[in-house]
Amino acid sequence: MRIKVKWLAIFLVLGLVVAACGTSGEEESTTTEAETTATTEAAPTETTEAAPTETTEAEEMILTDVGVDLEAGTITVGLLSDLTGVFSALVQPVVTGYEAQVEAINAAGGINGLTIVLEIRDTGYSVDTHVQQYNEIKDSVVALGHSTGSPHTVAINQQLVEDNMFAVPLTWYSGWSDPALNANLVPHGTPYCIESMNVLGYLTDQNPDAATVAIASNAGDFGEDSAEGAKLAAEALGLEVVYDGQGKVNAADEATLAEVATAIVASGADIVWVTTSPGAYSGIYGQALAAGMTALWSGSFVAWNFGFLGPDSPIRDAIQRDWTFAYPIAPWSADNPGTNAARELIQAYDPEAPPYEYYLEGIVEAQLLEAILNAAYDSGDMTRAGVLAAAKSLESMSWDGLAPDQSFVGEPNDTVQRLVNIVKPSAADLEAGGSGLELIEANYTSDIAAAYQFDEACFDAGFGG
Amino acid sequence: MIPDLLILAQETTVEPSQLGFMVVNGLSLGAIYAVLALGFVIIFKATQVLNFAHGALAALGAFFIAYFATIINIPGRWMEGAPGWLQWSLSVVFALLASAAVGMLLERIFLRPMLGEALFAVAIVTLGIDIIIRTITNDLIGLNSLPMGDPFGLSQIGFGCEAGRFLGSIDLTDVCTVRVPYTTVFQLSLTVVLVVGIALFFRSRTGIAMRATAWDQETARAQGISVGRIFALSWAIGAAMAAIGGLFISMFPRRPGGVDTFTAFFAFRAFPAIILGGLDSILGALVGGFAIGFAESAASSYLTFEFLGTGFGGVVPYLVMLLVLLIRPYGLFGTEEIRRV
Amino acid sequence: MRGRPLLYTSYESDQAIFNTMAKKVFAGLGLLVLVLLPFNVVPGLGFLAAGDWLRLLSTVAIFVIGGLGLNILLGLAGQVSLGHAFFMGVGAYVAAVLGGDPEGVRLGFGLPLWIWLPAAGIVAALIGIAFGPAAVRVRGLYLAFVTLGLVFVGDYVFRNWISVTGGAEVGRTFPPLQFRLWKEEEPLIDFTSDGAWLGIELISEAKTFYFVLAAALLFMLLAKNLQRTRIGRAFQSIRDRDIAAEIMGVDEFRNKLRAFGISSFYAGVSGALLASFVGTVIPSRWDLFLSIQFIAIVLIGGAGTVAGVVLGTSFVILLPRVVQDATLWMQDVVKEGDSLLATLLDLVVATDSTDFGLVNTLPGIGPGLSVFQLNQVIYGLLIIGFLIFEPLGLYGIWIKIRNYWKGWPFTY
Repeated sequence: MRIKVKWLAIFLVLGLVVAACGTSGEEESTTTEAETTATTEAAPTETTEAAPTETTEAEEMILTDVGVDLEAGTITVGLLSDLTGVFSALVQPVVTGYEAQVEAINAAGGINGLTIVLEIRDTGYSVDTHVQQYNEIKDSVVALGHSTGSPHTVAINQQLVEDNMFAVPLTWYSGWSDPALNANLVPHGTPYCIESMNVLGYLTDQNPDAATVAIASNAGDFGEDSAEGAKLAAEALGLEVVYDGQGKVNAADEATLAEVATAIVASGADIVWVTTSPGAYSGIYGQALAAGMTALWSGSFVAWNFGFLGPDSPIRDAIQRDWTFAYPIAPWSADNPGTNAARELIQAYDPEAPPYEYYLEGIVEAQLLEAILNAAYDSGDMTRAGVLAAAKSLESMSWDGLAPDQSFVGEPNDTVQRLVNIVKPSAADLEAGGSGLELIEANYTSDIAAAYQFDEACFDAGFGG
Repeated sequence: MIPDLLILAQETTVEPSQLGFMVVNGLSLGAIYAVLALGFVIIFKATQVLNFAHGALAALGAFFIAYFATIINIPGRWMEGAPGWLQWSLSVVFALLASAAVGMLLERIFLRPMLGEALFAVAIVTLGIDIIIRTITNDLIGLNSLPMGDPFGLSQIGFGCEAGRFLGSIDLTDVCTVRVPYTTVFQLSLTVVLVVGIALFFRSRTGIAMRATAWDQETARAQGISVGRIFALSWAIGAAMAAIGGLFISMFPRRPGGVDTFTAFFAFRAFPAIILGGLDSILGALVGGFAIGFAESAASSYLTFEFLGTGFGGVVPYLVMLLVLLIRPYGLFGTEEIRRV
Repeated sequence: MRGRPLLYTSYESDQAIFNTMAKKVFAGLGLLVLVLLPFNVVPGLGFLAAGDWLRLLSTVAIFVIGGLGLNILLGLAGQVSLGHAFFMGVGAYVAAVLGGDPEGVRLGFGLPLWIWLPAAGIVAALIGIAFGPAAVRVRGLYLAFVTLGLVFVGDYVFRNWISVTGGAEVGRTFPPLQFRLWKEEEPLIDFTSDGAWLGIELISEAKTFYFVLAAALLFMLLAKNLQRTRIGRAFQSIRDRDIAAEIMGVDEFRNKLRAFGISSFYAGVSGALLASFVGTVIPSRWDLFLSIQFIAIVLIGGAGTVAGVVLGTSFVILLPRVVQDATLWMQDVVKEGDSLLATLLDLVVATDSTDFGLVNTLPGIGPGLSVFQLNQVIYGLLIIGFLIFEPLGLYGIWIKIRNYWKGWPFTY
């Protein structure tokens, strides 16, 4: 007992001494230093509120705070990307496309002479790392060029609001247009649920005999938003939902694939809508094929991988017959000014890059960034708040066909993107040097997608709850 | 040329059998788990290393197979006229040799220095290896999934079919009571061959040396057995088995697209099979593999009640494992540790 | 006994937490440095005062608590558990339910921190104790795999229990680190917002850091004390030889239950703090890799010692950041070009698809690993390297260095 009391006493004394040293030492000798840190830490907010730096360099007054350095002539933009995690095979080319486009923008004079510098960080698709990496770069960037993953983006959303920064979510959850989340997000492209409505509308249009649909998806905003959209579409189109496997697929759990495949086969549906990752999608499709099922297959475009169409792929012929997808951007071999330029850009940037739509997605995002930064420059306000305001007042953004045009101003029902590009796997396209996706119909929107009154997320994932 | 559907018996009114699907799926899963477990158990038995990098090795092996068979086409490019299945089999042999070489290198570089260290310290070393191999394999695989290039395609054997219904361009649409993909037949036969091969190997001179090493390394050494060589050999076999596991995972109908960045995670699902049979039993790996395969397949076919939520089938292997271990703490066929003071 | 530091005249002084003057001084200095860190006054460590580094250090403190828990189970009682992540998850969700926003989408009762934090530990401990009997029946490696099953069963439950966990890929928010007496609007002490404490301006990261640092110190003290008690000695006897321990009158069953209970308590608290610290957590956070990370922490640090856990955690948590900064720096040097260093590094780094190099600065294309993949590979290599060259862990290295200087100039 004695030993304990003694140690407790010493520990307390030590603690007090340390505390005393800490406070008094700080007050006497290190006040100045502490203050300077305090001011540098607080600098961003102070300058925004009180007196933003003004400069006459470009004949006009440009306000700046964080991330834009007029003296060095740079604009720093962050990318939070999954470069080593489960979605790295999709996100890596997006980042490459982004870099290629930014290099091209800079070579062409940048944003009125200002060079865009990218601060790329790997999140490994972990929420913890995402938040940590955000905090690492937040004091040097003006905005986030993209932010990979939905729960990941939600986890930094509050900080985005506090820091007055915008981010482009690299997911297509319909809830991003919801005012509750939307304040600092700039979602582009067709949300998952509108995508479902478009494809199901298209498929029933082409195959009037189809009467039933089987739906299965991953759990979470990605899968369930898509599944919810498919159900809304089925109701509007008079399709009977013969299997509802919303949220039943877990791409990392083989057993769920067998379970869903069995149920889909048993349902005998005419149309199958499955939203999951490429490997899991091909697994469910393969098992249904092995059980002798024929149906029209579709699902979110995320399921597509050009490896399925390779000369050695066993499902090469079957998928050309069965699969249809809707892309939020143009497929690689689309022939329009925007896509042609993007394709050339990638081929010049890396001659060995395989044709793949995710490079184009990076270019789409970088062009959006360019338009926002140009608008902010023209308005003379390149503070974070100014850039955010510029992003939110982008009336008509055109990608020259690389992606359907989009507006970022107004009510969710007005801004939500409803246009998609209907594509089908095509070995001929792959052999001709394309990515294997043939553009069937550009800027397509089905009647139900066009008529859908969008006020809130189709599927409320309950983010932030 | 293999026909798309080999019809063995015809009936007039046919209903696809869910039980049949479950059994075929269970057999295919069982073969995967058994092969993964075999590789794991061989390494553990001979070298006392718990190999967390097994999944990464499976993915790397599957990549090698895709690489030899479809990308550089070796040895197929030198043997134009030979039948496709022969070219493919030789490519697989080359890929297995490459995997075995990687396994031996890993053992020599990273695990030999850990000889005699605590079991879990060594296990964490394999975890470091897992991170490295997985990263490199993902980089090698690249952006698209890589098919295995096997000659079986979508071909199937049908039992109890109703002939005459050809709907699409592929004659896969016949209604049959039970359909067995050629790939499943291939997986099962290769598993049998491997198990018999290993059983015979353990009766050979080297095999006996390996068993002796597993029993007592120092005594084995005293008898003139090169323990280092045995270690290298068991890692070579283990890595080659992992590669075969990777091949089995990346085939139609389970993953017709081939090997991708998810393949490495599959091997963790083989752990219940390994434990169920007993960590150091070859027979256990086989029995455990098929038992778990069937349990999982049955659960995902029949235990689909709403209240069980999503993914119950995937938990069943672990529940079976828990139950078996509580009754038999060293697995079904594992060696009981004799506890002395 | 002045001047003869290693002469102990009583059992108490031999078993004291700081049984030498040097330990006292170093512990005091270390604490002082940690406390002063956010003020950027410690020479050479100024960069640590930045918010992102303080966040990393807070993560270290939180993982230290979890690591101490596993260390008690693995290092003291000799029971291998791969289920640590499960208990952390349990703790996190108990905290979320008790402390969560009552008006939120998910289940929450809005109770204050002083209830949800201990409760997180207690519930996790109860589940740990309930699991104990299995640990008595199953031994060694098999126990490791039984606990592995726990992670997968836990994952299944967490994915499906949406009202509590938010479900897969969505997750939920966790109560912030704010101290309230009861449910009052303004928290008494807020660790999550900038502002002054006792007249000293502090950023929110610094406040959070102080809170978790205090928690970690408390748990370190408890763990250190546990080693010196009857229970701690019973654990060690079971670790060394369970049958021998039983013959000496140590109740194996009860002590294994205790070990699981105490370890799970630490895990629960650590999980609650981690979830609250990050803010949003998805169920797959509590996966096998988290468990394995903790085993790595204990083994790299050196099993069985509190100081080892601290060293091991710092290594495992801070290493990825250090490697990342190093690889990014390498990339910058090469891109700027000209200097000799750049030429040397250019041999390793490829800047465009035609350039040769082990590392490629273009993610996704061309041969060679991207900087981020290299980051992963170096991380793996360092873990392996450490275990190969110093199986006793960082603590072992420290002991070697200490012994070298102790006997200096006589190094034998």
